[in-house]
Parts: sequence; C-alpha cells; structure tokens
Amino acid sequence: MSSQTFVLALVVVTALGFDFTNGFHDTGNAMAMSIATGALRPRVAVALSGILNLVGAFLSVQVALTVTNAVVRIQDGTGAPRADLLAGGGGALLLIVLAGLVGGVIWNLLTWLLGLPSSSSHALFGGLIGATIAGLGLSGVNWNGDGSKLDGVVGKVMLPALISPVVAVLVASVGTWLIFAVTRGVAAGFAQKRFRWGQIGTASMVSLAHGTNDAQKTMGVITLALLATGRWTDLTSIPVWVKVACAAAIAAGTWLGGWRIIRTLGKGLVEIDAPQGLAADASTATVILASSHLGFALSTTHVATGSILGTGIGRPGAQVRWRVAGRMVAAWLITLPAAAVVGGVMWWIGHLLGDVAGPVVIFVVLLAAALAMYLRSRKAPVGADNVNDEWDEGAAVPAPAPAPVPQEVAA
Amino acid sequence: MIANLGFALAGAWKVLLAGMILGAGVPTFFALGIRALAWGTEGAGEALAARPRPVGRVLAVLCFAVVLFAVVAGFAIIMAAGLGKAVSFEHVFPVLVAKH
Repeated sequence: MSSQTFVLALVVVTALGFDFTNGFHDTGNAMAMSIATGALRPRVAVALSGILNLVGAFLSVQVALTVTNAVVRIQDGTGAPRADLLAGGGGALLLIVLAGLVGGVIWNLLTWLLGLPSSSSHALFGGLIGATIAGLGLSGVNWNGDGSKLDGVVGKVMLPALISPVVAVLVASVGTWLIFAVTRGVAAGFAQKRFRWGQIGTASMVSLAHGTNDAQKTMGVITLALLATGRWTDLTSIPVWVKVACAAAIAAGTWLGGWRIIRTLGKGLVEIDAPQGLAADASTATVILASSHLGFALSTTHVATGSILGTGIGRPGAQVRWRVAGRMVAAWLITLPAAAVVGGVMWWIGHLLGDVAGPVVIFVVLLAAALAMYLRSRKAPVGADNVNDEWDEGAAVPAPAPAPVPQEVAA
Repeated sequence: MIANLGFALAGAWKVLLAGMILGAGVPTFFALGIRALAWGTEGAGEALAARPRPVGRVLAVLCFAVVLFAVVAGFAIIMAAGLGKAVSFEHVFPVLVAKH
C-alpha cells in the first residue's frame, strides 16, 4: 500500500466516523419529543429513525460534490479539487480535509458528552475552516460568496443559524397555543392518545429529511478526497460504495441513539405533553422542508431546538428552563470557532510531522480523544432506561438509578 | 455581507410564512379533528370509550383528511428533492416537476 493510499484510507475512515457522530448527535432532533411523551418507546424510536435515515440517504440521487464550497476554497465550482493542492499526489488537500474532519468529530463528541445539541454541520464546517486557515491562510475561506446568492460562511452558516431558531420558536409557539386553545376541555387522556399518532408521523418526516440532507455532506467530502488522489475522476456522480458506507454510518449512529442529547432536548428544556410534542415536531418538519425547498441552508439542530423552546413558550403556564437554553445557545455560538481551532491545530501538527507521520499522529489523537470521552461518559451513562427520568437542574445526566436517600436526610 | 443579509431575510420571510400555514396550521386541524371526535364528551373525564356524535365524526374525518394530505405532500417533497425533482403547487394540487 502506498503512503498516499494509506492517508486516503485514514481520511475515509475519519469521514465515516464523522458521519456516525452526525447520526447519533441528531437522533434527538427527530425523536426526543416522541420519546419524552411516550409516543414511542426509546428503542423503537431510535430504530425507526435509523431506518428512515438509511432510506433517506439512498433516496437522494443528487450529487453533493461541492459541499465544501459553501465555506472554503479547496475545490472549483464543478467539484474538481484545486490544482495547486494536488502537487505530489494530493497530500496537501488530504491533510486539510483530515484535520477538518478531526476537528468536527472531536467537537461533536465533546458536546455529546455534555449533552448539548450542537449543529453537526457547524462542527464540520468549523473544522474545515480552521484547517483551511492554517493551511492556506484567511483567503482560503469563502466568507461572503460573490454577492449573487446566499453563500459563504456568513450566508450559509452564520445568518441561517441566527434566523432559523427564531423562525422555529415563532411557528412552534403559535402552533402550541392554537392546539391548546382548540382542545381546551377535551379529556386529557383522549387527546394524548391521538396526538401521539400525529407525533410519530411528523417525527418520521424529520428523520427522512435528515437522511437526505446530512449523509450527502460526508459523501461529498469522501468523494473530494478520492478525486484529489485520482481514485475517482467523474464529477457527475459519486462511487456506489461511498454512498452505501455513508448511508450505513449515519443510520448506525442514529440507531445507537445519542441518549445524552435526547434527554436534554426531551426533558431538559421544557416538560412536554403529547400536544406540545406534535406542535414542535410539525414546526421542525415544516421549517426544514420549506427551507430546503427554497434553497435556504440551515441546521436541523437549531430548528428542532427552537421548536421545542417555542412549544414551552406557547403553552400557557409551561415552564421553560432558560439556564439549559442558555447553555445550548452558548454551545451553538462556540461550535464553529471551537471546531475551527481544533481543525487548525490538527493541521499544524500534521504539517510539522510530515506526509505520513502527520496524518497518522492526528488520527491517533482523534482515537485517544474519542476513547477518553467515551470512558468519561460511562461514569454517568444515559441510555434508553433512564433517558426520561426527572430532570434535576444542575446535573446534566440523571443521578445513578438507585439512590436511596433517607427522607429525613433529603429534607 | 449586506447582499447576504438581504437574501437571508428574503428567505426567512418565506420560511416563516410557510411555517405558520403548514407548521402551525396543520397541527391545528389535527387538534380540531380531535375536538370534533370528543364532541359531547367534554368534562366526561377519561371518556375514551365514548362514541362521538355522527356530525363530530364527519368533521373529524374532514380535518384528518387535510392533515393526511399535508403529510403525504411533505413526504413527496422530501423524496422529490432527493430524486432531483421538485413539487409544484402552481395548480393547487401538488405536481412533480423537473427542478429548475
């Protein structure tokens, strides 16, 4: 195996790893409401979401070769890699992509550990921006596009991140208010049972849309790496194995379920009932569909979180935990710069250590960071069994299940 | 920057409008359907077994039909987008067209 092939393999494995974290990071966007209201049992919910993500990833025949163009300049408009990065077998481009992916994965794992629903697209784009700034300088970043359409870091990432949660909050709060106004006086049990059906339908729609959108990003990145090394030359399609591998990775991640994030979304932000769950899911599904229909890029995570907040605001007397919301917004704001810093540092390490040792070392750093965070998560595991436990503000994860505190001591 | 802001606000306005009509409106129809089913059982506690009035049942079916139509259209939009097509609402009824 040549050294170039070896580095390419590292890029592909890291990209699939990112796709996998993308899956479990976003399970909650579609399923947190259904799990919290009991519309679906936790295991059933993540399995359904996983299957729909798989179907969605295959449904999409559009070629997303130019996915990085939204934020950085390492390809041209047709998807072909920049020629000056290909000298000596494409190593320069591979290092940028690898460092960027590592930045995205590490940030996704850290936010998962903290139970914070941050945007996977922001993590990926942040990592790529950081690696590109380190490798090519500030001019390698597409900040504003050319002014002819919504483009660049500002147009495709920052503005949608500011606007989409606000839109989702408005839609979900109006929807929630209307639902409660209409069903006032209807026996609660009667309404709950039927609202759960509505929830399952809308949650399925969100999962399917997620599969069609998010798996594409990784497919585009892997194909870019293949193009850079000359393993693939067709700019109008992507290899079948890339599609199958990406679909499988995102579906497996979703099916695993990011329970820590599901818990924050379903129990942490607001205490929700089936009618609110329906309002939130319907708002998420519609805002995502309408945006992609209009070519307005946004993050599923921001929309889902905005909808959940909105459903707390729209229900008279409901409690919204603003501290949790504040933590989440803080995580959104720092996701892109934080992933960029990790991506940039990884590029420097990789660059200093040379063509093969560099990529190997940053891959090992990634594995070590992933293992450390996984082990840390086992100290306070969140799973299907305790995802719906009462929310105890101050603890991001539930207390260990049997905590027999004598009443008089607790009081 | 300014150009991007203009494009973003123009897009956001449309997304908000569509969101209000479909994202808030359709669940309201769903709620109306449930209300119609429960007609006459208000205040009857957990009256799960109560039979709805015939008029209530007809109204409920109408409401649920609106919801079902919206859900099917939603799935059609996702699949059409995946297949490189778009769903046109030009003639009120959704029609699959080539994406421009």
